Order: sequence, then C-alpha cells, then structure tokens
Amino acid sequence: MIETLSALGGGFAVALQPQNLLLAFIGSVLGTAVGVLPGLGPLNAIALLLPFCLALRLPPESALIMLAAVYYGAGYGGRITAILLNMPGEPAAVLTTLDGYPLAKAGRGGAALMLTGIGSFLGATLSVIALTFLSVPLAQVAVAFSPADYVALIAFALSLLGAIGGPSAPKAWAAGCLGIALSLVGIDSGTGVERFTLGSFELLGGIDFTVLAIGLFAIGEILLLIETRVRAAVEAMHGGQRLTLREVLFCLPTMLRATGIGFTVGVLPGAGASVAAALSYTAEKRLNERNGSFGRGDLRGVAAPETADNAAQIGSLVPMLSLGIPGSGTTAVLLGALLMFNITPGPLLFEQRPEVAWGLIASMYIGNLMLLLLNLPLVGIFARLLMVPPWVLYPGVLALSFAGVYAVSNSAFDLLLAIGFGVMGWIFRKLQVPLVPIVLGFVLGRLLEDNLRRALSLSDGDPAALFASPVSVVLWFLTAAAILWPFLALRRAGPPR
Amino acid sequence: MIADRLLGLVFLAVALAAGLSVWNLVVPFAADPLGPRPFPLTIALIMGLCGLLLLWRPVHRFDPPERWAGPPLLVAALLVYAMLMVPAGFMPATAITAAAVALLFGARLLQAAATGLVTAVLLWALFDRLLDLPLPKGILPL
Repeated sequence: MIETLSALGGGFAVALQPQNLLLAFIGSVLGTAVGVLPGLGPLNAIALLLPFCLALRLPPESALIMLAAVYYGAGYGGRITAILLNMPGEPAAVLTTLDGYPLAKAGRGGAALMLTGIGSFLGATLSVIALTFLSVPLAQVAVAFSPADYVALIAFALSLLGAIGGPSAPKAWAAGCLGIALSLVGIDSGTGVERFTLGSFELLGGIDFTVLAIGLFAIGEILLLIETRVRAAVEAMHGGQRLTLREVLFCLPTMLRATGIGFTVGVLPGAGASVAAALSYTAEKRLNERNGSFGRGDLRGVAAPETADNAAQIGSLVPMLSLGIPGSGTTAVLLGALLMFNITPGPLLFEQRPEVAWGLIASMYIGNLMLLLLNLPLVGIFARLLMVPPWVLYPGVLALSFAGVYAVSNSAFDLLLAIGFGVMGWIFRKLQVPLVPIVLGFVLGRLLEDNLRRALSLSDGDPAALFASPVSVVLWFLTAAAILWPFLALRRAGPPR
Repeated sequence: MIADRLLGLVFLAVALAAGLSVWNLVVPFAADPLGPRPFPLTIALIMGLCGLLLLWRPVHRFDPPERWAGPPLLVAALLVYAMLMVPAGFMPATAITAAAVALLFGARLLQAAATGLVTAVLLWALFDRLLDLPLPKGILPL
C-alpha cells in the first residue's frame, strides 16, 4: 500500500513535468476530437500519431502518456455524436444512442452530454484507482511465469480472438495468423535466416509497425468511407431543462455499477469496451424494469454505457501493463508502440522502467481531470467538428498518414506497403474479417516465438516442457476451451442460413 | 457466401505459399533448438485450417459498395502520391493528391484546389518547420 503510493508519487513527478502535461493535454483534445469524428477512432488516431512520437524521439513515457490520453479521451468524444446525431462516434457508443438520441430530441441533449461527461470521468477515475492497486500484485504473480507459461498465455490471448467472433471465428483466427506471419517477415533473430521476404531487399529489416497500423487504420478506413455517404441532422443541444444535481445523484448507483462491470470486463482479455457498454446497459435495463423508460430517453440509459465504456478502457490497460498481453485492439497498438521504443511491457516493467509504468498511471488521473474540464464547457465546440466537410478532413488525414510514414522511414517503398495494407484492410472490412487480430498477432507473434525458443532452450529441445507447469496446463485448457467454444455456439445456433 | 468461400481459398493459398517458402530453410549450424521452421509452419497450418473451415461453412454475405468508383480511384490517387513524393517533393505531391481526394469526396473544383493548397502548406509547416522532421523538397527551391 505504502509502496504503491510512493511509486505513484514518483509517477506524478514524471506526469507533472511541463512537457508531459502538455502532451497529455494534446492527447486529450485529440482523443475527444477523433471520438467525435465519424469514421475516426482512437485506433486511427494513435496510428497517425505513432510516427510523430518516433520521429521526434520523444521519451517512451511521454509518448505513452500522449497516446494513452488519445485512447481514453476518445471514450469521452464518442458520446457526443451518439447523443446529438444518433450516430456512434466509436463502436462502444452504440448503446448510448438508444437513450441519448431520444433525450436529445426531447431537448435534453445538453443534460445527457453533461451527465455522460460526469459518468465517463467517474468510471475512468475509479478504474485508474483500481488499476493503481491491482497492477503490481498481478505483475508479481506474472514475474514467476516461465517462458513456457508465457507461450501458453499468449496462445490463450490469441485463441480468445475467435471466441468473441462467434460464427466468424475462423476469420478472426486466420487474421491473427496473418498478423503473426507479417511479424515474422525479415531476418529471424534466432537463426539469421530470411523468412517471407519474397526476395525483397526492403523487407529484410521486417515490416514497420507504423506502416501496418497506418495502412489498416488510416488508409483502409478512408477507403471504406469514400464508398458510403452519411448525412444526418444534428439535434439542437440547448433549450431543454438543465441537468440537476438530483438527477446526477439519481444516476450515481447506475454509474457505480457500470464502473464495476466495465472495469471487470476490461481486465478480462478478449472482451472490450463495446461488450462492457452492452452488458451494463442490459443490466440496468433489467434492474429497473419497473420504473425505467429505457429506450425512450432514460438518463440512466446513457450513464450506464458511457461509464462502463471508459471503465473498460482503463481496465484493459491492466493486462497490457502487468502481463504484457493486450486485451483489445487499441491496447495492442499501444503495446506495439512500446515495443518500437524497445520497451517490453510485462511484469518487470514496474521494476525496470518505473517512470514509464507509473508515469502513465499518474498521467491518467491528470488526463481524466483535464477531459472532464474540457468536456463540460466545450462540448459544443467539439460538436462543431461535425461541420467540417469530409472533403477537407479526409484528404488531410491521408496526407498526414503519408507524411508520418515518410518521416519515420524515409522510403517510398513503405508508402506503397502502407497502401497495400490499406487495400487489404478495406477488403477485410467488406468481408467482415476483424482487423484487431491482425494487430494483436503482429504484436504478439515475435514474443510468442521468442518465448517458445527460450522455453525449448531451457529444456534442451524437449517440447513436453511446454506443458510442464500447472500454470501452463491451466492456460492450455483455457485455450482449448476458447477454440472449441465457437463451434459449440455454432451448433447451438443451428445450421447457417 | 461466395465471397466467404473465395476468402477461404485466399487464406488457404497464402497458408500454402507461406508454408512452402519456409519448408526448405536450412540453418548452417544448429545453435537453437527451435530453428526457423516450426513456428511459421504451425501458423501456416492454422491459417490453412481456418481457410478450409471458411470454404466448408461460409458465414457472411458481401455487401457491395454504394459507390463502386470511389475506392479504386482513391487507390490510384494514393499510388500516384507515393510515386510523386520523392521526385516532385512533398508539397506539390500533397497539393495534387489532396485536391484529387477532395474531388472524390464531393468537393467543387475551387474547394478542392483550396483544400489541396492549404493541406500541403500546413503539413509542410508542421513537419518541416515546427517539428523539424524533413520531408522531400523535390522541385521547389526551399
């Protein structure tokens, strides 16, 4: 307890440095902005910012503070379009539209926005507190993990990809394998032979994570946007009754329950903010069946998913920081960013690089406070972002992607590669192949092979060592269950249409 | 359904190609118990199995784009952008591409030209001047 607090104090010393405060602020603003902008989410924004962090040689903790602020900031922005436009700015905000838009139509859009702002802050801050005290004990458990245990843990994390995918589980797994294969391109660090380079000189050094991320999440996203045209009417924000303190207190139990659900779901690998938002909305609806007007503009109906969304975002940082295993797409990108700085998150991070781990945690207290202060008065300004025409926004995003890739690599080849990944990402999205497994596979692929190598070196090449420890046996069982689950679910659902 | 079957075939083909490309890898001396082959082969095997599963039981329908012309034209514009970037320089290449993309997103001619110019100059100022990240100068005497 005392140790945790003193470590947190050290973190605040890092997070309160002027440069890091500024970066947290920039990240918060950008995060809210991309949360508002349809088609752009935290993943896209982090992919776009990654080259800046690298090319500017920011210290890893500073880069992480900014990128993480974008991540949790987007949880604040997604609600604005959901409530005013009936259009979720990010996937987790789908549930917010159910009651948010009716509220906005009834002239209570401003009240709903204020309430969700408070809910987001509460969910995020309580979750950061939980994360502060949970990460180190979890990391201490993981310190005892052998390489073989890690192999099983990574296999488990990857197998979970399909369990959420339901009937499209094979697509998710295949995408994960593709990500792993992409991570193996280049010279194998263990044996020095070339793999998957197709004889190309440029691919000898491997594929840069920024190129993959920008291709999939910036270029691919815009290819998807250009084929559809969405226009909707913005509901007026003001005019209705203001939010009263009584209403906030009325929603407080809902927010607290949503925080619990959100954080727990976030910590569990595989599920993410969208699942958390859906779960907590359903829970509130069931709990208040008698006295609720859910679906027709119940304030609790916006408070629950928005609070859970932010709580889950913070929760999913727990496995990433303490185990080095990302639980969601965005945390996978954050992990990829850390790996580019030659930092391997995991149990030793808290001991070896406390300034990174604790600096990030401390910055999240500050960042969420900034976001609350930014979001309450300035919500109208952020909503105006919707008036930026797509023909200004998207050319800019594309040019920014290209400039970013070029600034990192100085090569036109990487630009072509990014376009290739963009086309791949677009086709995959059209075919409903999830993209998150590609990123997760890419980030975890090398880690998996390295740990496999280490495990086999320790056992002189005896593969039985992979199943020797109790931890690994349990994890392999869970992996098998996660692989079989979609098939069982499929059978229960009956033959496909 | 057909689209999913095709996707399954593609996964299968990629898995086969990947498997074959590492099959013949030889390591001159065995310093490492794993070697370069087993891991990628396992991954290729799993990917191939997933491809087969998709062939056997496709899940989704393909929803055709609302505007077919958009994506190919955008890709063409981006390819030109990547080719022009070094020889022509960041600002001219960006001005041309951003204007073209703006047109694709439904801007009028004058709006597109303005978008192209402003995007190019702003990003150049941001990267090259403010952040000191050099971008290709190309034909402009800067």
